[in-house]
Amino acid sequence: MSAHNCENTQAEFSALLDNELSDDQRRVVMADVRGCSACAAALEEFREAVLSLSQLKQAAPPTFLKDVQQQIRERSKGRFFGKRFLLFGRIPFEWVSLVMIMAMLAYYIVTMQSSPTHVTPVP
Amino acid sequence: MSVSDRLLLARLCERDEEAFSHIVKLYGDRVFNLVHRFVGNRSEAEDIAQEVFVTVFKSIDTFRGDAKLSTWILRIAANHAKNRIKYLARRPGVGANEATEDDLPSSHSRSLQAHMPAPDALMEAAELGTLLEQAIAKLDEDQRLLILLRDVEELAYEEICEITGVPEGTVKSRLHRARLTLKALLESHTR
Repeated sequence: MSAHNCENTQAEFSALLDNELSDDQRRVVMADVRGCSACAAALEEFREAVLSLSQLKQAAPPTFLKDVQQQIRERSKGRFFGKRFLLFGRIPFEWVSLVMIMAMLAYYIVTMQSSPTHVTPVP
Repeated sequence: MSVSDRLLLARLCERDEEAFSHIVKLYGDRVFNLVHRFVGNRSEAEDIAQEVFVTVFKSIDTFRGDAKLSTWILRIAANHAKNRIKYLARRPGVGANEATEDDLPSSHSRSLQAHMPAPDALMEAAELGTLLEQAIAKLDEDQRLLILLRDVEELAYEEICEITGVPEGTVKSRLHRARLTLKALLESHTR
């Protein structure tokens, strides 16, 4: 049996509280705690400190929803809610850019084909 | 992502006002609580929490759905709160610590509270709440965020990793150190 080391035992307190220890690890830590009054007191204080944090819950102000809606309306000048684009729900920038690239490519090909292949020197 | 999250997301992408109201009702308290505890100032927290939802609404199209909606929203909240603290720290005379003191009772009433026996459980709870707020405010930013996400909001480690972008092992070791620091701070207050 290994000698008890308070520091090693107390390093496991978070994992113990979070149920992150295996059954064997848990048994070892609990045996150490039972056999050491300093560790037992430290575990109790640690548990109290951590569990008390869950009481720090509070609700948003009662006007919160209204305030957020107001913010959004102000910033979008009333245009935010509702579909932003009649057909697609939003402007399909990716499609617009693809069509523009295709159009530019087509224009380039057409102009290349219609232009003379050789340049006649100016007399 | 759950089915209800997917349905809600589809409505959000269509800019359905009811869906937006629903999401504010659903996550407003958690967002407000997180940013309030993080920055320690109620009026700043109200402002940040509103900003969080404006960001959510503006960038809902960029949400890929590979995390829970709540995780994504809390990540936005954490980032906004961190940025606000940086902003407040840059402004002369309005440091984060100064902001933190806004919500807490004066040192005189705090010292009175410390010496007066609590008349009932409610008083004790209020006193403990104040002590916890003070102790949390003294933690460094990373530790504070981890404590808030894990022990106040009671999130799973997986969600905390997604919000903070820190690996699970690091989250666990930092959280343990944060809890030890908090315990020490509470002990120093109660002694």
